[in-house]
Amino acid sequence: MDRRHFLKNTTLASSLFFIPSFIRAFEDTLSSNLGYKRLVIIQLSGGNDGLNTIIPFQNDIYYRSRPKLALKRPDLIPITDDLAFHGALKPLKRLYDQGLLSIINNVGYPNPNRSHFRATDIWQTASPSNTYYKNGWIGRFLDQHGNEPYNAIELNESLSLALQGKKLSGMAFENPNTFYQLSQDPFIKQVTKQNEDTHLSEHNLGYLYKTMIAAESSAKYIHEKNTIKNSSIDYPKNGLAYQLKTTASFINSRLKTKVFYASLDGFDTHVNQVNTHSKLLKTYAETVEVFVNDLKAHGTFDDTLILTFSEFGRRVKQNSGNGTDHGTANNVFVIGNKLKKPGVYNPLASLSDLDDQGDIKFEIDFRAIYATVLNTWLDVDAEPILNNRFNHLDFI
Amino acid sequence: MTDKHIQHLYWRAGFGLLPKQLARLSGKSRKELVDELFYNAQHTSPLTFDTSYFENITREKYLKMNVKEKRLFREKSAVKVRELNSAWVERMVNNPCVLQEKMLLFWANHFVCQDTNILHVQKYHNTLRENALGNFGDFVKAISKEASMIKYLDLKQNKKDKPNENFSRELMELFTLGVGNYTEDDVKEAAKAFTGYSFEFQGNFQFNEKQHNADFKFIFNKSGRYDGDMVIDMILEKKQCAQFICKKLYRYFVNDVPNKTHIEEMTAVFYPDYNIETVMRFIFMSDWFYDEKHIGTKIKSPIELLVGIQKVTSLAFQNWQDVIYLQRMLGQILLHPPNVAGWEGGQSWINSNTILMRLKLASLLLNDGVISVKEEGDFSDAFQNYYRRIAKNKLTNTEINWKRFNSEYKNLTFSEMKKVLIVPPLREQTNDYINKLQKISIKDQCIQLMSLPEYQMC
Repeated sequence: MDRRHFLKNTTLASSLFFIPSFIRAFEDTLSSNLGYKRLVIIQLSGGNDGLNTIIPFQNDIYYRSRPKLALKRPDLIPITDDLAFHGALKPLKRLYDQGLLSIINNVGYPNPNRSHFRATDIWQTASPSNTYYKNGWIGRFLDQHGNEPYNAIELNESLSLALQGKKLSGMAFENPNTFYQLSQDPFIKQVTKQNEDTHLSEHNLGYLYKTMIAAESSAKYIHEKNTIKNSSIDYPKNGLAYQLKTTASFINSRLKTKVFYASLDGFDTHVNQVNTHSKLLKTYAETVEVFVNDLKAHGTFDDTLILTFSEFGRRVKQNSGNGTDHGTANNVFVIGNKLKKPGVYNPLASLSDLDDQGDIKFEIDFRAIYATVLNTWLDVDAEPILNNRFNHLDFI
Repeated sequence: MTDKHIQHLYWRAGFGLLPKQLARLSGKSRKELVDELFYNAQHTSPLTFDTSYFENITREKYLKMNVKEKRLFREKSAVKVRELNSAWVERMVNNPCVLQEKMLLFWANHFVCQDTNILHVQKYHNTLRENALGNFGDFVKAISKEASMIKYLDLKQNKKDKPNENFSRELMELFTLGVGNYTEDDVKEAAKAFTGYSFEFQGNFQFNEKQHNADFKFIFNKSGRYDGDMVIDMILEKKQCAQFICKKLYRYFVNDVPNKTHIEEMTAVFYPDYNIETVMRFIFMSDWFYDEKHIGTKIKSPIELLVGIQKVTSLAFQNWQDVIYLQRMLGQILLHPPNVAGWEGGQSWINSNTILMRLKLASLLLNDGVISVKEEGDFSDAFQNYYRRIAKNKLTNTEINWKRFNSEYKNLTFSEMKKVLIVPPLREQTNDYINKLQKISIKDQCIQLMSLPEYQMC
């Protein structure tokens, strides 16, 4: 830890020690005047083929390992001497050219797990691969620094483990209006009112009541606060776009939401992956570019950081079905206007020095990225959230 | 057994009871009740519906189709899969063999699979039905040979010279042993044993000798020229497999929080024969199953909630798509699991969004979303506006047998109705509030009760 950081942490810690919690609420107002930092997480579900996303187009091993899948010119867009974007990522290249994208290569963790379920849990809970955490890393962030469910919102029908805390979980919905309508039922409001200030246990029934009470008040907050609904910007027609459009309207309306969670599914490309993968990347890149433009138009992009990850990369060698099997280390994209090191953050790991399953060895622990985001971007102490100390990276 | 215990048994082994059913069972012994559940569950029949269009299409005919025709074929098939979903829900509502249906729900979330070919999906579904209370070993073997599974976990890509370990991994991690009871090498070696698995166009299993790796495999510190069934037998020899299944059964049928002693008792019954009926009978006959701490403490899954409400009023959907829409809103679409691990269950069903939908569900289905809030002595219509707005978006078109409903509930007092509809005790504040409300009609009272958080529990 460098000196500046040390000072910052110690002064913050010592001052917090003396301030009673009811005054700490004041900080929130303060930070919102200076710029309320928000994090948007996009999960590419199924295991994105990182090697066909950021392509080592000068590497013979890449071409030998993937006779049917390797991309060649003109289907790729070179960005450095040895790396290129997949051709479908043109919009992402434009962000790259503006210095708004940082590509972190070889991100993973020790003893990687190749099951979707487990690997997703590991990424969402920030646990070591041999330990099971019941709560997500954003959930623990909420437990320690949140007040209301709307502090973290997932634009999905159901809530991922990532946003589930022990005391406080985030919210999940596809459509905020339907959600509000439901919450206004007079009977439900009455039952809520009767139980509002009573002691509720952590057990299942207590949990139902707590969730009901919090849902009602959060729905009301979002409904009243979400005023910038009709952005003049046209979004493409796809699921991710719908999620990010809603996210942009919340951010532009200055909701007190610290974390948004969106996802794009379908990356589990075991069979005939060429077209499927290309379509998915196109969807991702087009949508993210529009999202960034929407935020820029409303002056909120400077305070937004977009983090994109997938639960694992895929095996270097293609399989017999012209697809790829589950792999390990992968690239992570960080998009924002406050990047310290835009471009390619670190070189791609060697393709000749693979692990014993034929997968890329990881270099950067994904939890170091989380730690950096928590400390540097969300301005909280990462250690009690991640249950461990990780080196900070230098991307923001 | 007490009525409370009968109700507990029927919520865990089924989807609740109607007042007349409870009256008929009241006073019977535990053994009589459990025997009846299993006696009824013997009569299984496959779920079939009109798939003649697909049965008439052979591989040859399919291959001759042009791209457009093939796409149409796939689209038609996907629609049929959704139809199967709704037919399944209908069967759950109407099938008197409730245990059969409950076991099926459990196994469908254990041997998780997803597919769009209706003939394959239907065959898979009926294999689950057939084996739901049978022998677990036969069950795993049958599942490994299902066309839908062969596709879902890439067994078709698992070739002699290029093994694909997806099935082998999930077989050990999710279907039989659980993490920590096998090594990465076991997964790799077992994948070789499952090479050559394939299926005919209409879904029958086909073993492709040429693609099978007949070499020695080294699994669990033993070596031999194992095939897929032999690998499954080797897995079953491990007691951890029985433990893994018993723990999952316990968490589904008894309590979210596993109890080591009870699971050990179950394992001793389950291992080494793997007879599912025996272990289920053991659970329902155990004293600990009726322990106060288990009663009314599980959160109903969306399907349990939906089917439970439908049973109360013999509710049927006029448009079968509606039942799928509701499942989507509640976070559980049958035949459409989130991933190979299935739904996690418990508190994970509940978030700010689903809780509201769940609380509103009964009123939306039975009364256009209206829950009566008139208190005793209150004659105003303060909430008319809210409901006028809501009623415009009628959620679903339903057919409800009110006559039957009335004959079931009309002679019950409000507190008797509470007992038959709700398993856990009501929270004091909630009970006070609900008692203050006008008892306008049995329908209104029923909807009020079914709109409480307590109704979400079983």
